[in-house]
Amino acid sequence: MLFHEIYSTYYQTASVILREAVRGALTGRELNTIVQKYAFGESMLTIPDGMKKKWRLLRGDFSTPLREEPSLPLTTLEKRWMKAMLLDPRIQLFKPDMAGLEDVEPLFTPEMIVYYDRYSNGDDYTDAGYIRHFRVILDAIRENRNLVISFRSGRQMERRLTVTPYYLEYSEKDDRFRLIAGGYKRRMMINLSRIMECVPAEHGDRMALKEASEDTVTFELEDRRNALERVLLHFSHLEKETKRLDENHYRVTLRYDRQDEIEMVIRILSFGAAVKVTEPESFIRLLRERIQKQKEFAT
Amino acid sequence: MGYSELIKNFSRIRAYIRSFYVYGFRHRGDFTEKSARSYDNERRRVESWLGDYMKFGQDADGRRVFLSVDSRSIPENPLYRAFRTKSFTDRDITLHFYLLDILKGSGGLSITEIMDELTDRLLEFEADDLPDESTVRKKLREYGSLGLVTVQKRGREKVYLLSESPVNLSAWGPAAAFFSEAAPLGAAGSFLQQRIPDQFDRFRFKHHYILNALDSEILYELLTAIGEKRRVSFTVRKNSVTVLPLKVYIGTQTGRQYLLAASLLGKRFSFYRVDLIDNIKKGDICEYPPGLEQELADFCSHVWGVTGNNSSRLEHIEMTVFAGTEEGHIVERLEREKRCGSVERLDDTHWRFTADVYDAFEMIPWLRTFTGRVTELKCTDQRVPDRFWKDLDEMTLMYGEDTNAVS
Repeated sequence: MLFHEIYSTYYQTASVILREAVRGALTGRELNTIVQKYAFGESMLTIPDGMKKKWRLLRGDFSTPLREEPSLPLTTLEKRWMKAMLLDPRIQLFKPDMAGLEDVEPLFTPEMIVYYDRYSNGDDYTDAGYIRHFRVILDAIRENRNLVISFRSGRQMERRLTVTPYYLEYSEKDDRFRLIAGGYKRRMMINLSRIMECVPAEHGDRMALKEASEDTVTFELEDRRNALERVLLHFSHLEKETKRLDENHYRVTLRYDRQDEIEMVIRILSFGAAVKVTEPESFIRLLRERIQKQKEFAT
Repeated sequence: MGYSELIKNFSRIRAYIRSFYVYGFRHRGDFTEKSARSYDNERRRVESWLGDYMKFGQDADGRRVFLSVDSRSIPENPLYRAFRTKSFTDRDITLHFYLLDILKGSGGLSITEIMDELTDRLLEFEADDLPDESTVRKKLREYGSLGLVTVQKRGREKVYLLSESPVNLSAWGPAAAFFSEAAPLGAAGSFLQQRIPDQFDRFRFKHHYILNALDSEILYELLTAIGEKRRVSFTVRKNSVTVLPLKVYIGTQTGRQYLLAASLLGKRFSFYRVDLIDNIKKGDICEYPPGLEQELADFCSHVWGVTGNNSSRLEHIEMTVFAGTEEGHIVERLEREKRCGSVERLDDTHWRFTADVYDAFEMIPWLRTFTGRVTELKCTDQRVPDRFWKDLDEMTLMYGEDTNAVS
């Protein structure tokens, strides 16, 4: 059961409050600080009062009858989910402790799931070199250390750079990891599958990560054949704003990473005439170019 | 009853969050399914949980509230917060903390011992409603089903023990952070994450459809039913359905999840959108009809996406694509995106994709992504090329001629 109060923010917040109370460190101010930090926007109206009165968990002096700091054993749901993760090929990248899960039934198995539109040339999570690079990068991120990386660029050029690793980005569609790193006043994105060698740098200052350059595209769409829902769901992972123009027409503005412009052109083309880009002109030009070429093939 | 941040039932809020997130243009008056007061309460709750991501717009029709987030820029799906909002009674939370505290390190206690200890602890508060034994038993039984408590026999007596957690959670930090976002039922992983100190927050997720989190309860029922080979009953847009669930199809480009199921006689396969499934109930265990697994494998090898069924005939489709000698990336695209199709080289610059699928019509969006390169398109379902070329004509009219076209 997923929707249960034992996983709730209120229980979690109460647990933190009680931990402080058992330690003898709780004050009225501390209680309020914990609620503000861990709970929801309006929880201040409920939790402090509940702890002291209705729930009978705190005495008037902010001590508690509990004798030990609260802790919750792992639930069956959590253990079954963890067991399911142990069957995922990507688990090789991590070194999770499998002890304690031996007799647990997985919540699901990989055979039950089909990622039907995922690209087939994703990363090889069984490759020993790939796993080693992933772990070196993960450790470097955790330890705030620079890395020296040798990799093949998109143009098959071999390069060797010292970078500051910030994030490991995973694309569900591509089934690929990319390292997002700072260095040379740039924001670098390096596919892990292109890395040939990766070692921690001996020393070196941290290099800043440049913000991704963003662009927007605005299009109008007519809600025919359920286009509105298909389009809005398809682009739902991007920051967007939608306005209704009339009963059947909508205007959508999407914000996207400039590096993904060609991908955005292709994705918008996939909706055909249901979507009409209105700005910017540079984006329209890219669409027009492809349509024109296609017309030439048609004739 | 007054307003509360917490909710008893998830299905109602599911529709509101979905609307705020997907259809950000709706005004208060557009939410006609329930009363305006219901809207006000649900909006207030969502704002309370997800205030950082709520945005407001003003136009001629009034104020709009919507959720907007670039899921690539955050380490954790904020919609998981909605699963941490289950309401409870005062007694629930009181018993929760006292029972766990009493059982911790006790080596096992009988119900009488638990009741004595509980009474001692609660008597100091000015309240006269001490929980009775049957209530405590019920709570212990519930916690047994959740895996928090185990029951053992000590002589003729039943004793309750706190379950042990021998798992080293600190070794799960990055794995839990990753799979909470990149695996099905990540909400369960997010519960786990809450337990891990110093959570790892340096993963980012591209093409990440966070909305699927709202269907986690339905997905949980479906996946456990598949594992147990149980039939399931549910409603889809008010139609009642009872089927044998087989697989879950997840779109990494559409933001949708589907159930692939067989009719009870196992002769017909169909897809159901998970976000439209409601009122789900698991039924009896049933053996797969003979030959089902082979028929399923055959069916899956001729499905492009998530439409079609095995009672329709297979359609054959061929698309020839131009790729210049320096345009290996186009061929690479065909190869990685061909799914159940195949790709062959015709000459130095032409490549042919072919497939036999139950529903070729659903391929049209993908075919359009090759606009500018399609030299030939043939399909036994003539509607497919007809639609492709008709759309092209419409787009030509929409965008006009390019006076600066690059040849």
